[in-house]
Amino acid sequence: MRALMPLAALVSMLAALPLLNGLIRGGDWWIPAAVLVIAVAAVSALYRLSGRNSFPVPFLQLIVAALLFTPILTPGTGFLGVVPTPDTFHQMWALFQQGVHSINTSAPPVPSSNGLRMIIALTFLVFAMTADFLAVTARCPGMVGGLLLALVLVPLAVDSTGLAWAQAGICAAGFLVLLATDMWVRGREWGVRVPDGHDPAGRFTARAVQLGTVAAAAATAIALALSLPLLVPSLRTDAFYTMADGSQFGSSGNVTTTHPLVSLRRDLASSSDRTVLTYRSDAEDPEYLRTFVLDEFDGENWTMSPVYTGRDSNLDGPLPLPPGRDEEPDASVTTRVSLDSDAPRMEFLPLPYPARSVEVSGDWYVDSDTLMVFTTDTPPTGFNFVVESADNRPDARTLAEAGPPRSLSDNYLVLPGGIDDGVQELTDSVTANADTAYERAIALQDFFTGGDFTYDLSPPAIPGDADPLTYFLTEDRIGYCEQFAGAMAIMARQADIPARVAVGYTAGQQVGDGRWSVSVGDAHAWPELYFEGSGWVRFEPTPSSAQGQGSASAPDYTSGSEAAPESLPDPEPTARDTPEPTETAEDEPSASPEESESPEGGPTDAAGGSTTGSDGSDRMPWLPAVGALLAGLLLLAGPALARALVRWSRGAAQASGGVVGAHTAWRELRDTCLDLGVEWSLTESPRATAARLGALGRDGTVLPSEAHAAVWRLALAEETARYAPAPAEGGTAAAGGTADSAANGDRLAADLATARKGLTATATGGDRWRAILLPRSLAPWRRPRVAAEAVPAVS
Amino acid sequence: MSLGTQHDGHGGDVRGDVGAVVAVADRVRGAIETVIEGKPEVLRIALTVMLAEGHLLIEDVPGVGKTMMAKALGRAVDCSVQRVQFTPDLLPSDITGVSVYHQDRNEFEFNPGPVFANIVLGDEINRASPKTQSALLECMEERQVSVDGQTRTLERPFMVVATQNPADMEGTYALPEAQRDRFMARVSVGYPSPQAELDMIDAHSSRSPLEQLAPVTNAAEIRSLVDRIHNVHMAPGMRRYVVDLVNSTRTAPELKLGASPRATLHLVRAARAHAALEGRHYVVPDDVQALAVPVLAHRLLPGPEAQMERLSAEQIVAKLVARLPVPGPR
Repeated sequence: MRALMPLAALVSMLAALPLLNGLIRGGDWWIPAAVLVIAVAAVSALYRLSGRNSFPVPFLQLIVAALLFTPILTPGTGFLGVVPTPDTFHQMWALFQQGVHSINTSAPPVPSSNGLRMIIALTFLVFAMTADFLAVTARCPGMVGGLLLALVLVPLAVDSTGLAWAQAGICAAGFLVLLATDMWVRGREWGVRVPDGHDPAGRFTARAVQLGTVAAAAATAIALALSLPLLVPSLRTDAFYTMADGSQFGSSGNVTTTHPLVSLRRDLASSSDRTVLTYRSDAEDPEYLRTFVLDEFDGENWTMSPVYTGRDSNLDGPLPLPPGRDEEPDASVTTRVSLDSDAPRMEFLPLPYPARSVEVSGDWYVDSDTLMVFTTDTPPTGFNFVVESADNRPDARTLAEAGPPRSLSDNYLVLPGGIDDGVQELTDSVTANADTAYERAIALQDFFTGGDFTYDLSPPAIPGDADPLTYFLTEDRIGYCEQFAGAMAIMARQADIPARVAVGYTAGQQVGDGRWSVSVGDAHAWPELYFEGSGWVRFEPTPSSAQGQGSASAPDYTSGSEAAPESLPDPEPTARDTPEPTETAEDEPSASPEESESPEGGPTDAAGGSTTGSDGSDRMPWLPAVGALLAGLLLLAGPALARALVRWSRGAAQASGGVVGAHTAWRELRDTCLDLGVEWSLTESPRATAARLGALGRDGTVLPSEAHAAVWRLALAEETARYAPAPAEGGTAAAGGTADSAANGDRLAADLATARKGLTATATGGDRWRAILLPRSLAPWRRPRVAAEAVPAVS
Repeated sequence: MSLGTQHDGHGGDVRGDVGAVVAVADRVRGAIETVIEGKPEVLRIALTVMLAEGHLLIEDVPGVGKTMMAKALGRAVDCSVQRVQFTPDLLPSDITGVSVYHQDRNEFEFNPGPVFANIVLGDEINRASPKTQSALLECMEERQVSVDGQTRTLERPFMVVATQNPADMEGTYALPEAQRDRFMARVSVGYPSPQAELDMIDAHSSRSPLEQLAPVTNAAEIRSLVDRIHNVHMAPGMRRYVVDLVNSTRTAPELKLGASPRATLHLVRAARAHAALEGRHYVVPDDVQALAVPVLAHRLLPGPEAQMERLSAEQIVAKLVARLPVPGPR
């Protein structure tokens, strides 16, 4: 008996061990913790068998734990192998630091190490001693639930995959064992509570009521637990990268990266020609290096949907198959990238698409949809990595014969409402002569590169009321890669081609045999369009050459000449073939000398919008204030208006006199009393109420006599209406009442007014104001109610 | 509030036949008040019981005027009044009467007992043996007497006014619950107020006011009034209210024994009479509320918990009344 509770506490602690299972790699991490927990429980159980004061238990537990700790976790440091020495503590400290480091530097599952083992063992030692104290010494086993909850939080907070059902179930079962044991022990010690009632039926009902209460409480708790998190927006998300706002990237505090488009603007606008990275590629004509994929258009900007880290997204082994490819493509291109140590830190690696394997040190994750490779740590600057990628240049015929997308999420076709209809019309007119998705894509690219558009890193400001997209497409047609890529992706989606925007760098400038250099000016954005069988394919709507993005190049397959020349709407396809990536990036800064004065020249639409907004507020600064004041007054007067409405709606019924009139007048008197905070009881008859109201005064003031007489008349009218025989049964008085019911109604109204005036005069000032501003009679819970036990048996 | 007739000034609706009830009652009240002053509540209950054709139990310590009250009531109505002093050796035949053999006429002649009267005063009823008590109580319920196989009906109005000392006084046989149930109402007179006691000294020092009390009505008038009581309207909601109230005594955890269906009937009759006395031709909750304690309390047995909390049956009934919502429009 005495040893039972320590053992139950032990069971609950051991059942909590699997909670950490998903967080640690390697099988033996739990052994030291389990040994210590068992030892601590055994000490407690054995000592309590003696039946003595339990005060020394924690000290005995500490001694035993220390003796076990040394040989298990810091072997060779103890005196006689078991007694801790200063060496032991030194080694413990070292192990502790090692464990903390490995927890901090690696994402779960963390490889098992001695330090980690020690930290877990120490944690469980402290928890087991606390649980023993709570459950056995203090006899509050329910409190152990708090400890278990703390342990449950660890996987929930650390691991994005969360908690497995089995882990949670085992932990809960252990806790239940503890609670059940406690109840059983208590029952043995004190006897069980005798159920109410002697007959089995009564006992059964009592049991049913008990069960019903428990079930209702549990159901309420579960419903709250399920619904409350939905109502609290900040409790959502286990994502590491979400778009917080235009400039912040990553809301969970793990990584804060500037928005790719913002850094793109900054890179392009900077006048320096800093080298970002150099790479050695065995391809003659290397692909662009892609860093980010923006797959959601929110009506104003392209943003990135959250990417997740987890065990299955770890970057070890080959990367997932690129979407749209059925078989493993040949990883024929090897690129050795070395990042410049001066370049900004990159949480996302610039990789040629589609990368097949990446050799890089540190913890990196890959997003299977986009093949973006990213880290949650702060990456070092100036490191090297090797990436093997496939050749992603399908021939035009394959693209032209591609069927409709089968294995792709519809999200890539989604556009928010609110896009100007003109854009859709423009898309329709551009793609009018194109039959296949490929032809439509070519038509769109030609639309941008056909010469109507001007590449300019500092496009002129957009008028405040214009939609930036529409303005770019139809009015000024001046922009840089961000506008070109974004607009083409939107139009492609409108033309039923899945599309997204990629951000990264162009191939850069060749500096030697197979060696390439990418500088800040090579930052670029381009659309990726999806074709079944070929996957995501790069398009290039931004004008290249000296008048455009210098190092940009349109892929060969987008020339369309091989596919179906007769169906191409563009008469001079070769014109766009000429730009070669031979131009140096030095054209770039020279193309935009004036815009370097205003580095934020890019997002002019936002700036324009804000200025017009401030104009508006300057013009009428008092308008919102007056509006708020009016709204506040209206809000303040709301209850009073509602109460007046109720009173007014009763007027007609009152004026009719008779039974209905009396009831209505009485109800209005009731509400008046409630408003004024005067008690109103359902167990009082009308005349008893009238008598009480007559002696209403709180500080000696009594109801004025004429008001009291009016209340009496109202009460007697109500009494007659309630309890007297109906007028139809005859009777002289009742007949007289029906004859001039209108006069009767008028008298009721007059009496009511007198009574109201009298009651109000008797009330204190505070009650009077409250009755006007916050009439209590409007609140259903203020209405007089009948005590539950007095509910009439006859209904 | 005092449930007098003051509300009539506020437009209370008095119909003709009910007006007669009020008039007679006022006369009786005035007559009795020359004898016993300062007890309008007790007097009102006594009149109510008389008009409702019930029986009244007056319970109090000795010397507070129980018998005086009963006698005054008997004198104010011009009808036959008999008084029985209950003693431990009183026999049932002393109440019902006996058949006596007449030698000269060679036949049995029935000598009616004191129960053959319109108003029977049973003084200190709890001093008699249970056998005798039950003889009287049978007459009360049946309103007839069976002696020697012959049944004799008692004349209307028939009202027993019994007085008793509290059960814990010496030499008493407490009335069993079943017999208490037959009394429509129980009242206790209580000590008079100092002023009333002072007036009493003046009134009783020179002459006996009871002797000078002249009858103000007679049996026939009372009979006609009783018949009018039945016409007093009781709304369906009010009937439910009475049933709810009686039912609440049965379910109340404080009570070991609740009120009987007979109590329901008594309460309804008394409420009608009360309404008529107030000059109304319909019953209102106030009637039932005013009568709940006198009509119900003596039939109830408080449970052990209530006894431990020193809650009397009267207090429990008052609590139940205060909890029950009055009928009204919903």
